[in-house]
Amino acid sequence: MLDTFEILTTSGVVLWSRTYVPVGASIINSLIREVFIEERIPPPSDAGQKPTYKKEGYTLKWTTAKDLGLIFVVRGCLAVYQSLVHLTWIDKLLDNVRALFAGIFEEQLKKGHTSVVDTDTFGPYFDRQVQELERANEATPNVKLTPPSSTENDSAEDNAPPVLQKPQRPLYDTSADSTPVPTPDTSRPTTPAHTHLVTAKGGPGPKGKLSRRDKKKVAALNSAPASSGDEGSARKKGKASAKKNRVWGEFGAEEEDPSVVLDYSQGDIQNSNPRTEALEEIKSETWGRKTAKGEFVLKDLDEEMDEIIAEQNAKRESLAYSKESKGLVGSSIGAIGGLFRNVVGGKTLTKEDLAKPLKGMEEHLLRKNVAREAAVRLCDSVERDLVGLKTGNFTTIESTIRTSMESALTKILTPTNSLDLLREISTINTSQSRPYVLSIVGVNGVGKSTNLSKIAFFLLQNHHRVLIAAADTFRSGAVEQLRVHVRNLKELSAREGGQVDIFEKGYGKDAANIAADAVKYAAANNFNVVLIDTAGRRHNDARLMSSLEKFGKLANPDKIFMVGEALVGSDSVAQARNFNASFGPGRGLDGFVISKCDTVGDMVGTLVSMVHATGIPVVFLGVGQQYGDLRGLNVRSVCMLLMS
Amino acid sequence: MAWYDEDSWLTAAFSPRLSTVAVALTLVLVLPVLLHLFIYRRATPTTLPSLLLLGPSGAGKTALLTLTERDAAAPTHTSTAPLAIEALLPPRLTPASAHYRSPGDPAYERARRFLLVDTPGHGKLRHFATAQLASPANVRGIVFMIDAASVADEAGLNEAAEYLHDVLLTLQKRYTGARTSKGPVEIPVLIAANKSDLFTALPPQLVQINLEKAITQVRKSKAQGLKDSGVALAADDDALDEEREWLGEGGDGPFEFRQMEEVGTSVKVRGGNVLGGDGPDVKDWFAWIAQQL
Repeated sequence: MLDTFEILTTSGVVLWSRTYVPVGASIINSLIREVFIEERIPPPSDAGQKPTYKKEGYTLKWTTAKDLGLIFVVRGCLAVYQSLVHLTWIDKLLDNVRALFAGIFEEQLKKGHTSVVDTDTFGPYFDRQVQELERANEATPNVKLTPPSSTENDSAEDNAPPVLQKPQRPLYDTSADSTPVPTPDTSRPTTPAHTHLVTAKGGPGPKGKLSRRDKKKVAALNSAPASSGDEGSARKKGKASAKKNRVWGEFGAEEEDPSVVLDYSQGDIQNSNPRTEALEEIKSETWGRKTAKGEFVLKDLDEEMDEIIAEQNAKRESLAYSKESKGLVGSSIGAIGGLFRNVVGGKTLTKEDLAKPLKGMEEHLLRKNVAREAAVRLCDSVERDLVGLKTGNFTTIESTIRTSMESALTKILTPTNSLDLLREISTINTSQSRPYVLSIVGVNGVGKSTNLSKIAFFLLQNHHRVLIAAADTFRSGAVEQLRVHVRNLKELSAREGGQVDIFEKGYGKDAANIAADAVKYAAANNFNVVLIDTAGRRHNDARLMSSLEKFGKLANPDKIFMVGEALVGSDSVAQARNFNASFGPGRGLDGFVISKCDTVGDMVGTLVSMVHATGIPVVFLGVGQQYGDLRGLNVRSVCMLLMS
Repeated sequence: MAWYDEDSWLTAAFSPRLSTVAVALTLVLVLPVLLHLFIYRRATPTTLPSLLLLGPSGAGKTALLTLTERDAAAPTHTSTAPLAIEALLPPRLTPASAHYRSPGDPAYERARRFLLVDTPGHGKLRHFATAQLASPANVRGIVFMIDAASVADEAGLNEAAEYLHDVLLTLQKRYTGARTSKGPVEIPVLIAANKSDLFTALPPQLVQINLEKAITQVRKSKAQGLKDSGVALAADDDALDEEREWLGEGGDGPFEFRQMEEVGTSVKVRGGNVLGGDGPDVKDWFAWIAQQL
């Protein structure tokens, strides 16, 4: 069963929550950290289901309302969630609650400079939703198994419009049918609202607005609250129906009849007006005819809920697909207005507006040597950020996308914890009194040994005693090469006070054992730091990669850095992934050293690709041939290079 | 009906008819009013003094924000977006600028209002905070929240110290980089040692000593560390070629918060707790805030 349902803002304030089993907040925090901030789990692309996140025996499902800055999270025990039926049910709940909450509290949420949203009234709505969906789940399992309407979900928004309509319908049908009403065919209150949805979806954009205005009118006409936004009326409604709600839960279907009949009369009087309006609106649509012949319109919480949901969905739809203008005049005026607003700003961005500039941005990134996968992901996250936003004054779409892309790049490149190698070394040396072990892996010829000796030089400048272990026992000349480096470094560091030596066992031996021996030797001979060079290996060669796991276990380095060239193209993603996965479960890379950055000019996209693939930060950049040509990463400058 | 016909709208617009004159007159009269209203509406609401809430993730920034806004702290999670709220000083406190005003004075009430700007503390999302710091518009002070319990161990202390180092360095740069001899407006910093109700929490004095030590370490390893890639990658770009600057007195000796006063930033450490069994204890912090308003 459900443990918790929480609605929180992106700024972290919990607006509303329903807890069935109290558990600490840390799980949702780690969801936010890992998924929303570090984006470690890429949202699955299958359109059917919401992404899930598992941690410490709990399963979380979530959805977001970007325009309002809301996150909806469901948490439950893992064991229960393994059944598919439950999963679909939860998806639907998330969608419905999102629509409901957005509909009821939209005005409060849009208010600036406050975090207070009075959500006391939301309880009954939520309970009703849960009841309804639960009942639907028990009664009609075959309906349940239809794909839920998570199509507007952010992770799955690339669905084509025609596909949208199909999975959309079951949601409303089930939510309608699931409420046991004596005359389900004629008196379905949701049907007008439902057709609203359909018209708005198929038809031109302004319809969406029109239907909302209708709702306002309905709200004005009815003393009974029928529409969104009005907080006071919503509260009244909420309380009234909460009582009814309890009766339903305990006594079942017999109790329903009188209450429904009571509502018949009232609903008929009050809502004849809006219903005809709805009819008029639907005229152009073949869909509406069939469904809108209901005689009575009931007013109760169910209906209100469905209405709000339908309205919200209609709004989303119309926002997303508001392109077809009617005539030549309309379209040209719209185009001119759009152009004008594009220059002046204040334009609400839709997917279509963004498509072309984003394509350009993607191409621009590809030219900067960013792997396609990473470029697509960046563009997607920019799109997710911007759809539904208004451009600022005197900013074009392009410049808005630019700023958003810059912040996306900054976010992806900025490490979660800044790595301070020197301080870490001194911490390990003093607290655990053992040498600090750092090892370097990578593909052949990317500059592992060179960067290793650069790091050694950097450490020697800071008066560390460094042991370099030659664990490349495969390539001929590898040990000799390191020997030359060590000789040079010895001469260079003689004055500085550092001390460096090499640990070698010749060729053909097992690298992991040599590394482990080197660590022991260093501990015995009072070295601070052990740097382990490894043989280069192709990342798609399973045999070579498999030896890394043993290496990781035996040598047990404090840090494993992977060297990647800035020259490599889209292969960088696969390289980073395979190396990261090669150390077995529970161990991965700790950072990247990107070599040969001086040779690529401003095409430093490899940095982004590698970080994108693994979420592991870039620690050093190699920028030249000298020992001193090692640099820390400056995120701002890399962003500027990428955006130039 | 083409535009050159006698009864077309264009002809009518230039003919001395009463309706044309009326339309022109209303336009002339109404347009300035509308324009004024438009500009007036746009320009007003920016003058509240604001306080920035910075600090590592999980320190209790958003909790303090909700406590300020409502009287009890709401449950919160990790923030991913900044949030600004309009807050009011607690009733007993008098803002420093309104010290001589009587409580009935409308200006007194106005002086008690301020914006509290919460920023995400996660390492990847600090650019929100740095952007705020880079162009502080009417920022009266910075509240740097830390978890007094997590400062006791190495990792938590280092994270807080690194962030605080960056913040103080930005403030120092702002002072030393100022064009005028007078220097920019002071931005004081309050280090709010939160969660002092916990058993493992350090007292404010100890927090201060630990932070000063850790910042000295950060400064030292920054001095020894590698150079930024910025200069090497974009050698021709002047904007990136910024020289390094050390926090405190030229970066020598142990760092103390006292040294920041030379660059127009006073740093105070006060303890308190937003949550807790005996209710929140934030009066020290609000007293500090009242001094800055």
